Formats: sequence, structure tokens, C-alpha cells
Amino acid sequence: MGIVDLNGLEVRLGNRIVLNGLTGSLQGQAIGLLGPNGAGKSTLINTLLGFHPPSKGTARVFGLDCQRDRAEVRGGIGYMPENDSFIGNMSGVRFVRYMAELAGLSAGEALERAHEALFYVGLGEVRYRKVNTYSLGMKQLVKLAQALAQGPRLLILDEPTNGLDPIARQRMIQLIKEIRQQGSVRLLISSHLLRDIDETCDEVLILKDGRIAALCNIEEERRSNRSFMELETVGATEKFSVSIRGLGCECACFPGGRIKLVIPDHIEARDLYVIASEQGVQIRRMNRRRDSLEDIFLRAMDNELGRADHVSL
Amino acid sequence: MSVYKHIYRAYDGKVTPVWTRVFVLARYGFAEAWSSKITIGLFTLCLLPPIVFLIGIYLANNSIARALMGGLDPQGLPINARFFLILLEVQSWFALALTSWIAPRLITFDLADNALPILLSHPISRFGYVLGKLIALLASLSVVTWTPCLLLFAYQSYSSPLPWAAANLQIAAGLLAGELIWIAFLSILGLAVSSWVKWRVAATGAIFAAVFVPAGVGGIVTGVLRTKWGFLLNIPFMMTSLWQRLLGAPESARANFYLPTGAIVATLVLACFICAAMLNARIRAREVVRG
Repeated sequence: MGIVDLNGLEVRLGNRIVLNGLTGSLQGQAIGLLGPNGAGKSTLINTLLGFHPPSKGTARVFGLDCQRDRAEVRGGIGYMPENDSFIGNMSGVRFVRYMAELAGLSAGEALERAHEALFYVGLGEVRYRKVNTYSLGMKQLVKLAQALAQGPRLLILDEPTNGLDPIARQRMIQLIKEIRQQGSVRLLISSHLLRDIDETCDEVLILKDGRIAALCNIEEERRSNRSFMELETVGATEKFSVSIRGLGCECACFPGGRIKLVIPDHIEARDLYVIASEQGVQIRRMNRRRDSLEDIFLRAMDNELGRADHVSL
Repeated sequence: MSVYKHIYRAYDGKVTPVWTRVFVLARYGFAEAWSSKITIGLFTLCLLPPIVFLIGIYLANNSIARALMGGLDPQGLPINARFFLILLEVQSWFALALTSWIAPRLITFDLADNALPILLSHPISRFGYVLGKLIALLASLSVVTWTPCLLLFAYQSYSSPLPWAAANLQIAAGLLAGELIWIAFLSILGLAVSSWVKWRVAATGAIFAAVFVPAGVGGIVTGVLRTKWGFLLNIPFMMTSLWQRLLGAPESARANFYLPTGAIVATLVLACFICAAMLNARIRAREVVRG
């Protein structure tokens, strides 16, 4: 059983299919949710929280159905929404306490945890100020504090670094890393910033047009010894890429004759030069490098069908 | 987490039952409503009529006090259904003023800062959210409506030298039922209007408008079409008729304007359904763009 299990999940909003047959099991300590705008990241989060009922299939969090066992699922989730979402008329500590009480903490415990959470995220000194007097970065932090105060099993962060300046962003990333290292809480982080996910997550789910474009374990990918190579070519690049696929390489073509490929152990760089020579293709540059999240993402986006099996590494 | 250690600590304590979360909302709503000085001012104002009526009951039952006041005629101050009807009406309209101030405070702060996604991401349903706010508003209105009315009834029962209470139990039941119907209607109306008007001052005006504008329209309908059914839009008229019947007081409306009790109740129920639909449309964690 994964943290999040999706089984043919389809969500319609009006007549539009926003999530289309998502199937997969997310098991990482920190799971990144990537995708371009409109890919369905926020809809997936809303579905996990029980805000949108699935039109087909199921979504489960810790084995509980997100629709049928909504209250129980929500009880274990701390949610930090993407947009401004707070009660501006309340002081920071009162707001966080209120949210913790709604999550099921007694009034006394909630107050204690509210103070702790606000100190933890760095808002200790301003906790008695009204939330609507906070800066954008502070508002992001108070949303994180309210999500943490209840001590959730799963922390869902929707675009946590949205609108933050570089220092505040770094601080937020650092906090997320600390929470991850502590180990008692799983994270699901939605972002369109690859760097944020790369720095904080060990598993990534990439969505494209409401489908799963890729689902992979970043840590495993990093640990694997597969050779990644980047070529810059001139000539019949498409034909060349078909030929090197014939050798057993996985490759993705990019504009400007750029090719990124994974070379099996038995293939040497020399074999590539031989094929290039036979087809009259010039290899202008050849870089050996490790696969990055950017590559995984670009390959997933490059895939026209957007099927997970076509892009798995 | 710890204030001095600045580290994250998971929570492993007990959690409260899910059904009690509604009361967390109600408690915070109640505190929010009563944190305003204007609420306190209105509340104080609402208590003035019961004090005047209390003096009236005292004078009606105390011959010495009447003598000291210049020999007031005891027949001039009858404590009957009509007396309590006036009290009920006065308190009910004060309750409207209080609703128009409190209801927007309960809802608009949440809507203005888009707090619903966070609030509803906790183990609380949309129905639970509205119920919590409704409880806060009902509790606030109860303090100025049926509670002082019943206390005055109890005082009259105690003060009267005659066995008054047993003969007038319908008044007590009418006071309780009439005020409960009114504050329930006001509460749902106040929350529904507030959920659609984010600006608090405008929401206050809109609540008054929701009560009195249909009354004007109803008057026009009655005048133009020469039918009594236009009064079904006139909430003050309807409620007065209902209160008179509940307390057993003589009816003030002309016979040709008599509205059946069933029609009044059906109109109130229909209005409550419309308000519930308005709340259902607005109290959502996410706005769904249909297309």
C-alpha cells in the first residue's frame, strides 16, 4: 500500500475531463507533483482532499478512500493551499490554533502546538500580529504553520514557494527538507518549478493534460549507473536517432539537433560515431552527464501520447 | 516542534471526536461575533425593552408601587397575550438588527480572505461549516429573543397573585416557538446573504433589504392584482400573523387579508430552501468553472 494509490482516477469538472484515468502508487517520503499549468496538479490535490468527487476510479490516501472516508483522510492531512487562504482578521497564533482545533486537537494542545509551529517556521516574533498585516512570505509561512500544527501524516504543499523572494524561497525549501528528514510526515509537493522538486523530493509524478506522463523515483534514478549522454548534431537527426534506438539506446530529440540518450553498457561512444559517419551526420558535441529531473520532465513532456509506459526510465 | 528547540515534533496525542468540530466553529464564530463593540452596544440596546416590560409587570402586580406612581389603574396595564406579543415583536426586530451585524462577521471574513479551502481541508463538511456558524448566530440571537421573553413570563408567573401561568401556558409556548422560528429564519437568511456579499457593510444592508424589499414588492402585487397573496412576500406581516396565532392574541389584519397558517409556513420553508441553495452555491472549497 502506497501513501497515495490512484486506480483509474477520472475527475470531470462540468463537461471537461481534468484527470484522465490516473493509475499509480506513490510511495516516496517526499513526492513531487510536476506538470505545466492546467495539467491537473491542483485538481489531483483537491480530489485527494475530497473536494472533487471522482467520476470514475478511486483515489486512496493511506489506504482510505478519499471520497468515502473523507473525514478520516482529512484528519491525517495538513494542507497548504497555493493561493492566499487565511482569516486575515485573526492573529497568527489564533488562526493556527483554530485550524489545529478543527483538525482534532484539544484547545490547550492546539494553543501549545500553534506557538511551537509558528516558532518553527520563523514567525514566533510576529505571532500576535493579525495575519492580514503579514508580508507574502509570512503568509506562506503561516499557511505552512497551520498545516504542521496538527501533526499530520501527510503534508500537502501546493506551490509552497509561490511568490517568494530568493531568500524566503531558500528558507521554505530548507524547512521542507528538515520536515522530510525528521521522517514522521510524508510530503506531497506540487510545483511547476523543477528546482524546488529536485531539491526536496525523492519521487516525482509528472502530469500532462490530466494524464500521468511519468512516475519515477528520483533517488533511484540518481543512484543508477546508467550513462546519459547529450549530443549536438547537424544533419539527418531523426534518422540518426532511429538508428541509435536500434542499438538499444533510449533517446529523446530536441530542437537544434540536440539528442539526449541513455547508453546501454555494451555500447561505446565509437559506435555512435560509426552510425553518424554512415548517415552523414556530424556530431559537433558529446557530453556525458547524469540524468536530471529536467531531463525526466522534458522527456515526459516530449512524449506525444503522454503515456507513462513510454517514458519510464 | 518546540518553542525553544525549533525542531519539528509529530503530534501523537488524542484527537477530539469529529462531531465536536462543529462546536469549534461555533465557538470561534461566537467569539468573533462578540469581539465587536458594536455587537455589545446592540446587545445592550436589545436588553432595554425587556427592562421596560419588567417594570410594567412589576407595576401590574404591585399595588403599593402603583400607588407610589400616582395611583395607576391596574386595568390599564393588562399582562396578557397582547402584552407579550408586543415584547416579542420588539425583540424580534432588534434580533434582525443584531443579525444584520453579526451574520456578515461570521461569513465574510472567511470568504474575503479565501479561508474556505483551508477550513474545509480539515475534517469538517460544508454542512458542518454552515451548521457551526448557524449555531453561533442562533446562540447570539437566543440571548436577546426567547430567553428574556421566557424570563419575563416566568417573572409574571411568580409575581401574579392569581394562578396565572397555568392559564397562559400557550403564551410561553408561543413565545418560544415564535422566536425560534424567527431566529432560525433570520440566521439562515443572514448567512446566505452574507455568503454572497463579501463587503460587510453592504451585507448588513442586504440583510435588511432581503426582509423589507420583498415586502414592498408584495404590497405592489397586492395593490395591482387585488389579491391577498402578495402578503406572502411581506415577511413582517406574515410573522406578525404567525406570532398572533401562536400566542393566541387577537389578529390585527383585516379578514380579507387573512393568510392561512399553512401558506405562511410553506413560504418560510421555501425561503429557507432558497437560502440553503445560496449557501450551497457559495460555501465551497474550490470554485468550479463549468465548461
